[in-house]
Amino acid sequence: MPTRRVFLRNSALAVVGTAAVPSFLTRAALGAVENGTRTKRLVVIFQRGAADGLNIVVPYAESQYYSLRPSINIPKKSVLDLNGFFGLHPSLAPFQPLWQQRHLAIVHAAGSPDTTRSHFDAQDFMETGTPGVKVTEDGWLNRSLHSLARSPQNSPFRAIALGPSLPRILSGSEPAVAMNNINDFSVGGRSLKPSPAATAFEAMYDHSSDSVLHGTGEETFDAVKMLKAADPGKYTPAPGASYPKGRFGDSLRQLAQLIKANLGVQVAFADIGGWDHHVNEGATEGQLANVLGDFSQSLAAFWTDLGDLGEDTVVVTMSEFGRTARENGNRGTDHGHANVMFVLGGPVKGGKVYGRWPGLDQSQLYEGRDLALTTDFRQVIGEAVARHLGNSNLAQVFPGFDNQPGKFLRYLG
Amino acid sequence: MRSRFVWLSALLLCVGLACAVPHLLAKKKDKSADSAAEQKRAVHALNRLTFGPRPGDVQQVMAMGVDRWIDQQLHPEKISDSAVESRLTPLRTLHMSSKEIMEDFPDQPLLKQVMDGKRPMPSDPARRAVYQVQVARLQEKQDKKQERVKAENDRQDKNDQKEVAAMPSPAPATSDASQGAKTAEELAAAAASTAEPAPNAPADSNTMASMSPAQGESSNAAANDASMTPSAAAKSAPADDAEARRREDRLYADLKIQGLIDLSPDERYKKVLAMSVDEQVAFADSLRGGKGQEFLEGLNPKQTETLLAMNNPQAVVVEELSQAKLLRAIYSERQLEEVMTDFWFNHFNVFVGKGPERLLLTNYEQEVIRPRAMGKFEDLLVATAKSPAMLFYLDNWMSVGPNSMQAGGGPQRPMMRPGPYGPYGRRRFPRQYPNQNPNARRKQNSGLNENYGRELLELHTLSVNGGYSQRDVTEVAKVFTGWTIDKPLEGMSFRFDPRMHEPGPKFVLGHRIKPKGEDEGREVLHMLATSKQTAHFISLKLAQRFVSDDPPPALVDRMAKTFEKKKGDIREVLSTLFHSPEFWADATYRAKVKTPLEFLASAVRATGANVDNALPLARQLNNMGMPLYGSQPPTGYSMKADTWVSSSALLNRMNFALALTSGKVHGVRVDVVQLAGGPPASVDATTTLSTMETKLLAADVSKQTHDSIVAQMEGPAKDTKLDPGKKPSQPKPPDASTIAGLLLGSPEFQRR
Repeated sequence: MPTRRVFLRNSALAVVGTAAVPSFLTRAALGAVENGTRTKRLVVIFQRGAADGLNIVVPYAESQYYSLRPSINIPKKSVLDLNGFFGLHPSLAPFQPLWQQRHLAIVHAAGSPDTTRSHFDAQDFMETGTPGVKVTEDGWLNRSLHSLARSPQNSPFRAIALGPSLPRILSGSEPAVAMNNINDFSVGGRSLKPSPAATAFEAMYDHSSDSVLHGTGEETFDAVKMLKAADPGKYTPAPGASYPKGRFGDSLRQLAQLIKANLGVQVAFADIGGWDHHVNEGATEGQLANVLGDFSQSLAAFWTDLGDLGEDTVVVTMSEFGRTARENGNRGTDHGHANVMFVLGGPVKGGKVYGRWPGLDQSQLYEGRDLALTTDFRQVIGEAVARHLGNSNLAQVFPGFDNQPGKFLRYLG
Repeated sequence: MRSRFVWLSALLLCVGLACAVPHLLAKKKDKSADSAAEQKRAVHALNRLTFGPRPGDVQQVMAMGVDRWIDQQLHPEKISDSAVESRLTPLRTLHMSSKEIMEDFPDQPLLKQVMDGKRPMPSDPARRAVYQVQVARLQEKQDKKQERVKAENDRQDKNDQKEVAAMPSPAPATSDASQGAKTAEELAAAAASTAEPAPNAPADSNTMASMSPAQGESSNAAANDASMTPSAAAKSAPADDAEARRREDRLYADLKIQGLIDLSPDERYKKVLAMSVDEQVAFADSLRGGKGQEFLEGLNPKQTETLLAMNNPQAVVVEELSQAKLLRAIYSERQLEEVMTDFWFNHFNVFVGKGPERLLLTNYEQEVIRPRAMGKFEDLLVATAKSPAMLFYLDNWMSVGPNSMQAGGGPQRPMMRPGPYGPYGRRRFPRQYPNQNPNARRKQNSGLNENYGRELLELHTLSVNGGYSQRDVTEVAKVFTGWTIDKPLEGMSFRFDPRMHEPGPKFVLGHRIKPKGEDEGREVLHMLATSKQTAHFISLKLAQRFVSDDPPPALVDRMAKTFEKKKGDIREVLSTLFHSPEFWADATYRAKVKTPLEFLASAVRATGANVDNALPLARQLNNMGMPLYGSQPPTGYSMKADTWVSSSALLNRMNFALALTSGKVHGVRVDVVQLAGGPPASVDATTTLSTMETKLLAADVSKQTHDSIVAQMEGPAKDTKLDPGKKPSQPKPPDASTIAGLLLGSPEFQRR
């Protein structure tokens, strides 16, 4: 990618070179480049471990729901009603205002059409965007940048994953950065001037013939410099944005920090684990309730924190598959099929549950045990990639899937 | 080219002084080429069969002969390992049974029984101190919770009276309640992934954080606590007099603890055991956040363990096992056995953050995995299937046949023994969950749990492409009903409970399994262990560990053949692997990117460092995304490069390398002078660099890496370019520790 390198040498690095420039000026300079067109952002959240969609957005008007789940159902009186049929799990209370302001939409009975009930395979399929095809090496979120005009800033933070490793969804030919902790994201100390060790490491990796390490090293050092130039420093979230303690809250807080530092984030990824409740899942309280609390508080805080930048942001959540419609013998649920997805953002026509509800009668269940799938997750994401990010080459993002705009749910305004 | 030169010259050095005479050199040419090849073989073998070469290892393996050395590694029982054993002696929990561990380092359910008077408080003074503090803390937590619930109810009552028509406001109520109701399991899971210092969360990473160096903080401990106490008290407004008095007592206790530091270790220890409960609680609190290192100085292992256990009993167990894992990886002579133990633990993964797992891991790793790491696969499969750690982790212990006696109205046991593991185990039905279905009562805890059945097929044996169906998963789950845990509070052991077992025949992978209780499980395990798919899957995984991320299929096929022919003999399969041309192919050399554990252990080994305390190293692994025993999903950690090559990971590795060689990793000492071949004054920079290249990377360093370091040694002076005739300026005195750090952070060192 010679163009990328050249540009960086000429812009971001030039800025780094003049370390004496106050950081607010640097930020202004970076921002000015960006101001021509507003950066549209897509944030993907993965709930790893197969979240129990039926207890998250509860079809409380279905009597079948209660007979399938005698001990772990969410009682009618406890759900936060959405539309007279569905209701939110009470731990999703932080979502309620977002729903009322019509920033939050829901797609039910959605997910990957592949039949696997293996966590690993199913996650992989949803990240590569090619269910059933194991040889795909790159992720759809990486491919979604392929045909997209680069923002003039061409930032190494264009594609970012919060966490210690780069997930499949973001691996591929577009440079992407994994960041665990903003404050540790440097070599040999945090001073604005690169340490001699950092310079030596950069030269080593820059010139290395090791293709795997060379590419990552290059991206890493670009990102380190740009981050230093932007000097995110000590971060105070916007008033009212209160992130819960824990890894997911930290991820989203740091993501907001990067977005607000004007680093040119276009696509981002974060994940949250702890959804695999085979035993004692709980109902209004318990294990699922706890992780939902973390999930919704973090996302609500992120939304508040973004402020006006939320106008250009779309957040989509997904999980590898749903869980059995029936509870199992241990007041938990086993691996199932379709699930629920949330879509949050400025351009989202929220306050509505999208998709077709397949019902929970025995005959309506998939393989007699799971919620049937009526919306392929690629339709949901395809709409965000095409209509929000502006990449209409969906055949490249989701090869082998007929993603015609006519099939979109039209959840974007 | 350059690298070959350096390597060759280093080799010549090794060959010895014979080379001093020029005409001998010519004669030796062939021989030295041979031994160059032999050295490369030795380096490769060490890179793959061990956690990386130590200083002198290459020469030793060459002296022994590479093939003989491999053969020795395949027979760990023939290798004396006394050096590492003596390092492990102080870690007493390694030598305890699960039963003893559970008694000495009690978990919540056991403590709750003591609190509720169902079990006596132990009489042994050391054990008593540990129990007393935990019970006092538990009691306090419970009191607070009740207070909160009461306050919440009062508040809601008031609200209800005020605004009858107001919308129910579940937001604050539930979020509060859910915070309070967080299970230990989730706390542990959260702590394992964040490493945020949550004082008493019983997870490894957190407790490792709590072991950070004292750095003279303890003298401030009292002052800090004193300043914190009032604000904390002010926060919980309804604190009653007793609460306030307790806090005051603890403040004085803190001062008293400070007064003990000057006593002899034995005296200090005795005084703590003789303290009142409140004083002991205060003492335990003072150990939080890694403080109090000073106080523990000079105590013997048992005394240290007791005092640390007063603060966090389970953490002691996990920390000792984590230390042992790293010490063995770094110092054991039975390196292949350690590599294989790590491999099988990862294959049959269990997670430290799930409930009582943390007390079971010691037994699981030492008694279930390691003794069978080079044995028969089927033995390993059966041992894991019956291990409490696996039975608990994949929930099989509570899977009940839908038509079993227990489910089908046979006389129910009044309460199954494992009941105490409330949040993650069987427990009588909490009132708040409404029962809408009249059959619900009968159905509770009376159904299948597919978790183990599925992972057994997908991850342990056949692999995801192994040709099984959802029906097979369900049938296998039925087969294993009744494989459960006995004596949950006294060490846990395997038990087959016929009352939980699903009656009737089962159909697994086209075979009819006749009803025969526990033996059905044995039959299925045998079937799986001897299946072609399993032979192939295990061979593939081994080849991925030892050869490359995408190993040659022909090699995997040959390994699978050995697997089948030798009835799953792991040693034989490895032997096929190590004697294959694919293993020795040029393309295989340094083809694997190290995992964080491999990187960390190899860096410590390469530098010949002395590890006094391995916990700071364990903490580094948390940063690198690979906490020990911390893989939550049953897949375990990936062995492939793409998982471990990321910006974040690379930066962590570079920073670790620099910290290690500059003595900034607490508890680990690197002798840089030795590494550099002498003190800075006596050795010039170029020599230091080449000495270190030889020691740390077997002299096989790329020109790019070498030049980048040289450039850093020379500094920004570029004037030599202007006048090519001029001699290059004298290199600046190099910082040997930085050079070592740069080499350990180089692209070459990330590979093995």
